[in-house]
Amino acid sequence: MELMKLEIVTPNGVIFDDKVKQVTLPGSEGEFGVLANHATLVSLLDTGVIVIDKADGDELAVAINSGYVKVDEEKTTCIVDGAVALSGDDSDLAKALEEAKELLKKTESSAAAIASAVSKVEQIGKSL
Amino acid sequence: MANLKEIKRKIGSVKNTQKTTNAMKLVSSAKLKRTEELAKRSRVYAAKLTELLNEIAQKMQQSNTDGIDNVYFKDVQNPKKVDIVFITADKGLCGGFNSQTIKRARQLIEEYQAKDVKVRLRAVGRKGIDFFKFNGVELNDEIIGLSAAPDFKQAAEFISEVAESYVNGETDKIILVHNGYVNMITQEIREDQVLPVDTSKLELNTVSTSELEVEPDDDDTLLDALVKRYVEYTMYYSLIDSLAAEHSARMQAMDAATKNAKEMVKELNVKYNKARQESITTELIEIISGMESMK
Repeated sequence: MELMKLEIVTPNGVIFDDKVKQVTLPGSEGEFGVLANHATLVSLLDTGVIVIDKADGDELAVAINSGYVKVDEEKTTCIVDGAVALSGDDSDLAKALEEAKELLKKTESSAAAIASAVSKVEQIGKSL
Repeated sequence: MANLKEIKRKIGSVKNTQKTTNAMKLVSSAKLKRTEELAKRSRVYAAKLTELLNEIAQKMQQSNTDGIDNVYFKDVQNPKKVDIVFITADKGLCGGFNSQTIKRARQLIEEYQAKDVKVRLRAVGRKGIDFFKFNGVELNDEIIGLSAAPDFKQAAEFISEVAESYVNGETDKIILVHNGYVNMITQEIREDQVLPVDTSKLELNTVSTSELEVEPDDDDTLLDALVKRYVEYTMYYSLIDSLAAEHSARMQAMDAATKNAKEMVKELNVKYNKARQESITTELIEIISGMESMK
């Protein structure tokens, strides 16, 4: 499967920078997935969870509050305000989950968007 | 003899000062390293954001023959009202760092007032606030604590308010003044036009963006949100930049102070030895002349 480059950038630094198979993004007009060679696109991102299919087959979830995504053929760049990657060992993960929920609840998006994002984070927490 | 004691006391006090300034220098250099790291990390974000803004602005320009028709981009030739936001440190003891910024801010005010432009001042940092308050200049905003510990959220909240007054038409132009970090030994005053977005800074006409798809479909929504973020980010970055400059300025000032103290201790030591010799000579003369008179 063809890989593409994905970058997630916040004001506090680069959260993710690697080759991935696929990424699912919470666009303001609805969730959408991006594969390699996607047409050029710029979209607003809503509060939600970015799901990354990594090159090694693992899945990684990153909770974000809001931002933008710029997609072109070889690269996808997410520019977000705040992001928490849900990964690591059990204790780290529990902390990350709490942080993610905190981050999501603090945003100004609609209550529905926040609720769905929080439940998604909780789901991920259970499945891991 | 009293003189001797006095000099000794002075040497002790100067040595103590030297210890303090040296410690402050070390603290500043550690803090500088951290702030530099912070600046480096957030620079990536800035680059990406500017890139994106470039592309969107360009797309709008292509679809609109008479330039970009957006409130954030309207170019005002003769602004009537200008907001100046300036950043100083909360603390002193950093050489000319604060006074340089204040000087530049005053210069700007005078320039604009000469052109009959109404100027509003918004101050971040205690030193700048204290200065203008002391001189009886009215300040629109007084933010303390933000310049010592930049926080994206707080910075965004503050600048959004300022940006809102721009959208409302209360002001035609927003300028951000701060003392920026160049390297360990140099700082430079930086002046950014926050709003309207300075189109001369954007590199229009570089990439072809005809195929760029935008979601939501309405360009304005995206551009508005993007400019907002851009403005917030400019504010945040300026705060970090200013903090880095503050630490480097303080490092320098404290280094100079430590050196001066060292010099002073040296001089005082010479003085002390001279005084000691003098007193010994006097004593000797007294003893010898006493013996002479007994003969």
